[in-house]
Amino acid sequence: MAEARMKLVEEVADDVTVVEAHGRLDSTTAKEFGDRLAALVQAGRRAIVLDLKNIAYISSAGFRVLLITNRAATQKQGKLALCGVTGEVRRLFEIGSFLDQFLICPTQADGIGKLRQ
Amino acid sequence: MPDRSLISSQAPSTEIRIANDMCEIERVTELVEGFGAGHALSNSVIVALNVSLDEVLNNIISYGYDDTARHDILVQLAIGSGGVEVIVEDDGKPFDPLAVATPRPRSETEVGGVGLHFVRSLMDQLEYSRRGPINRLRLIKKLEHDDG
Repeated sequence: MAEARMKLVEEVADDVTVVEAHGRLDSTTAKEFGDRLAALVQAGRRAIVLDLKNIAYISSAGFRVLLITNRAATQKQGKLALCGVTGEVRRLFEIGSFLDQFLICPTQADGIGKLRQ
Repeated sequence: MPDRSLISSQAPSTEIRIANDMCEIERVTELVEGFGAGHALSNSVIVALNVSLDEVLNNIISYGYDDTARHDILVQLAIGSGGVEVIVEDDGKPFDPLAVATPRPRSETEVGGVGLHFVRSLMDQLEYSRRGPINRLRLIKKLEHDDG
C-alpha cells in the first residue's frame, strides 16, 4: 500500500463523533492511533463511531488499542461503536475472538443510530 | 525437515535487515507489499504475512534483548510452488514462540498470547531453531489455486 501508513478522518455529527481510520493498525501505528482516540475520549466525546472499512489489517498491537479505547470510553460513561468490520479485518476479529468484545454495527449510520438510542 | 522443502534455492526471494526499533517494522511491511504485488499474491496472503511478521518482530523487539544496543534482525521472503516462505533471524535471547501456550484468559485490555495465536492461525507451518546466538523462525504460507 503506497498510501500513508495510517490516517484518521474525524467528523462530528451533532453528539456523535465519527472517526474513519485508513491504513494499517499495527505495531508502528497503534500508538498514534490510540493517543488520538484517547484524546477524543478525554475531551468528553461520549459517543464515538470508529469506521474500520478502510483498514487493511489489525495486528494484536492494534486490537490492544481498540480494547483500551473501549474501556476508557466506558469509564467515561461513553460508548464506542465499530463499523466496517468486513473482509480480512473481520477474519482477524474472528481469529482473535474479539467480535463479542465490541459493539459492532454494519455501517456508520447504524453505529450513529445505535449510540443515540 | 530439509530447510528448503517447499522453496528451491533458485526461488525468487528478497530480504531486508532492520534495527530492533518498532518503527522499523514499516520497512518490512513495505517489502511484503512490494513482494506480494510483484508475485500477484492475494490480499488474504499479504495480510497473513504482514500480521504474522508484525507479531513476530514486535515480540523480538519488545522482549528479545537485555541491552539497549542496536541489533539487526534479518527477514527473508521467498516464493515457490509450495507457497511463501518467511525466515526471521535475530540475535536476541533464545525464544521459541512455538513453545508458548495458547492465549491466556484475557482481561479487558490484555491481548497476551493473541499475537502468536494469529501467527499460528494465519500461517500453515512454523519451525523454530536456535543456531549459536541466533533465533531462526521459519514460516510457510501455502498458496491456494485461487490465491493470486
